Amino acid sequence: MVNLSTGICARLQTAEQTDLDLFDGEHILQLLSVKHVGAGNSTTGAVERYRIILSDGEYFLQAMLATQLNGLFQDNSIQKNTIVKVTKMTCNFVQGKRLLIVLALDVVEHVDQKIGNPASYPTPTQEVPATTTNDMDAVPSAPVQQASTSSSHQTTSTAPTAQTAQRRPAANGNRPIYPIEGLSPYQNNWTIKARVTQKSDIKTYSNQKGEGQLFNVTLMDDTGEIRATGFNQVVTALYERLVVGKVYYISGARVNIAKKQFSHLNNEYELGLEKNTSVEECLDTDNLPTIKYNFVALSDLESQPKDSTCDIIGLVQAVGDVTEITTKTNNKKVTKRELTLVDRSEYSVRLTLWGKQAEEFSSPDSVLACKGVKVSDFGGRSLSVFSSSTMVINPDIQEAHTLRGWYDNQGKDVTYSAHQSSGGGAGGGGGGGFVRKEVRSLGDVKSSQLGQGDRNDFFCSQATVVFMKPDSMWYPACQKPDCNKKVVGDDAGWRCEKCDQSWPQPQYRYIMTLACSDYSGQAWLQGFNDVGDMIFGKTADEMFAIKEDSEIKFTELVQAATCEPYNFLCRARTDHYNGQPRVRYGISRIQKLDYKEEAKYLRDMLMSPWGQTAVAVAV
Amino acid sequence: MSDQKHPLWYRVNSALLPEFEGKKVRLPCKPIKQTANGWIVQAPDGGEVNVTFFQDQLRADSFFEVFGNVVNGTTVKMLKASDLENDLDMTLVDDAIKLMHDQRFRGIFSP
Repeated sequence: MVNLSTGICARLQTAEQTDLDLFDGEHILQLLSVKHVGAGNSTTGAVERYRIILSDGEYFLQAMLATQLNGLFQDNSIQKNTIVKVTKMTCNFVQGKRLLIVLALDVVEHVDQKIGNPASYPTPTQEVPATTTNDMDAVPSAPVQQASTSSSHQTTSTAPTAQTAQRRPAANGNRPIYPIEGLSPYQNNWTIKARVTQKSDIKTYSNQKGEGQLFNVTLMDDTGEIRATGFNQVVTALYERLVVGKVYYISGARVNIAKKQFSHLNNEYELGLEKNTSVEECLDTDNLPTIKYNFVALSDLESQPKDSTCDIIGLVQAVGDVTEITTKTNNKKVTKRELTLVDRSEYSVRLTLWGKQAEEFSSPDSVLACKGVKVSDFGGRSLSVFSSSTMVINPDIQEAHTLRGWYDNQGKDVTYSAHQSSGGGAGGGGGGGFVRKEVRSLGDVKSSQLGQGDRNDFFCSQATVVFMKPDSMWYPACQKPDCNKKVVGDDAGWRCEKCDQSWPQPQYRYIMTLACSDYSGQAWLQGFNDVGDMIFGKTADEMFAIKEDSEIKFTELVQAATCEPYNFLCRARTDHYNGQPRVRYGISRIQKLDYKEEAKYLRDMLMSPWGQTAVAVAV
Repeated sequence: MSDQKHPLWYRVNSALLPEFEGKKVRLPCKPIKQTANGWIVQAPDGGEVNVTFFQDQLRADSFFEVFGNVVNGTTVKMLKASDLENDLDMTLVDDAIKLMHDQRFRGIFSP
């Protein structure tokens, strides 16, 4: 059993906001509970927040989980009683109350029991009391009532002294600094201390009311990011004053619901900068928020859904030339440049820069950290910068130094893999990966009419192969790697039109039509080479040879491979065949069942609220 | 599902043993320590059970399913053991056992 960092909770409840050693240190704590606290409305784009209770065996305290860690709870890496190593926290004061936020943690191990008998730390002020807190000190919950009033100064008189003495003085007076994560339309008297990480150009628009101009900035502090927009007069007032890279105290802006189509940030709100918004440059040099990255390894890009945004760090291995293309939509000329980035996962990816950024780029062999780049499934996986993406060349962060060191020592000699679009249909990696929870029955897929019209619909299914069309399970293909084109046989050999080459022998590649069934129905799924490889465990060349040799043996192998269940990621689309439109289901990815995982999934379903509503049946 | 000639061998964990005193059960387990007349094993729910062995040998490095008679709440007299090798998720097994013995589902697993 791992030892908890006893004594830490007591220290955290009494520490100053500037006690960075404490907040950046590593503490082993046990998670006693994780509770979802929502805004109540489940509008799309609303970010979930989790309140956690951490214990060091002696005392427990409440904290919020930073949104970048939400995934850990949602995929069950952390749950009740998990022991974690908290590696970074921050402490903010919100109207006199201490608000701890866990920014980074590692999972140590999961245990079933609560360790020790932790008590609530006897501070006079508790955070907003959660229902799970066993408050043995009968705290007069004065702070709770005061939370609803907007003035932030009067809490000093009633909140007991321990807290107020530690409230961090802001450089511009006594206003407490709000975390960006805490912003909401229901609080008005906030001040944030944030760095401008990105500023757009001034854009002009015209609508029925006339002409106007606007600009956006991305503001970031230790707890999160938020977009801020200013229109018309605000542009003239603030545009020059907000400098990228500098930190400002901002207050008096409107908190609005974020318009997701204009922003890729992970925040359900955005700020509207107005005439009375106050922006003051922050001159004190400590506790400044730094850019937070949530890097995805290049090898994991396949699991990022198409059109999502992510952060990456990589070394620029190759810089393409600037090219000019004309957009099909507006017929505008746009310049672009492609870079090839590599990282320690030994994968490479293309990153596209646009416009001025493309023309001005001249840093080959540098480390590039990018935030908010778009993931596309072109050529497997590739990246593109948005106007709101940020790109830092050779940033002074740990990952950049590690990457640099690794590349100089080993990386130069590594052959990098690139994400492939799987053969046949374009963009095989599209639609993300197979997700067990999203499995739909074949009957459901058909009745939902997936793939109708122009849409490419992806879906996950679990089904059993009940029949394989025996004739034409493969086709002769060009031997050149990555060229999967069909070759035509003649006297000279097998000729590939695309490569303009002839081969003595073709490489056979699978092309299969499978009848797959589950409890709800049957569907015809089409698969390519990877599907055949998995189903038979043999290459198409081998199967071809076996069939030539012995028809009986071949049939036996087909029989043996039939009636096996698999997890499929499929794409539904409409084809026109002989003038008739038909929906076809293509297999993007096929996976064997991992029975342990399947059993876990079923167990989770049974233990879920749905499963627990089963009624006893008298047998 | 069963008749008098073929008694059912329920799969159990250590908490259920008192209920099955005198009956035949199946206990998936991990042998921990060898004793004078058998082994101490860890059941899927973490509890420890004394298994007195008769014929087959257990080993400490893999999972086994012990078939035997329940002597009392902590002892099982083994009749046979089946080697389940190394790759077993005991939490999953325990959850399955709990669900099997859950009042609502018991009817599926027993007459």
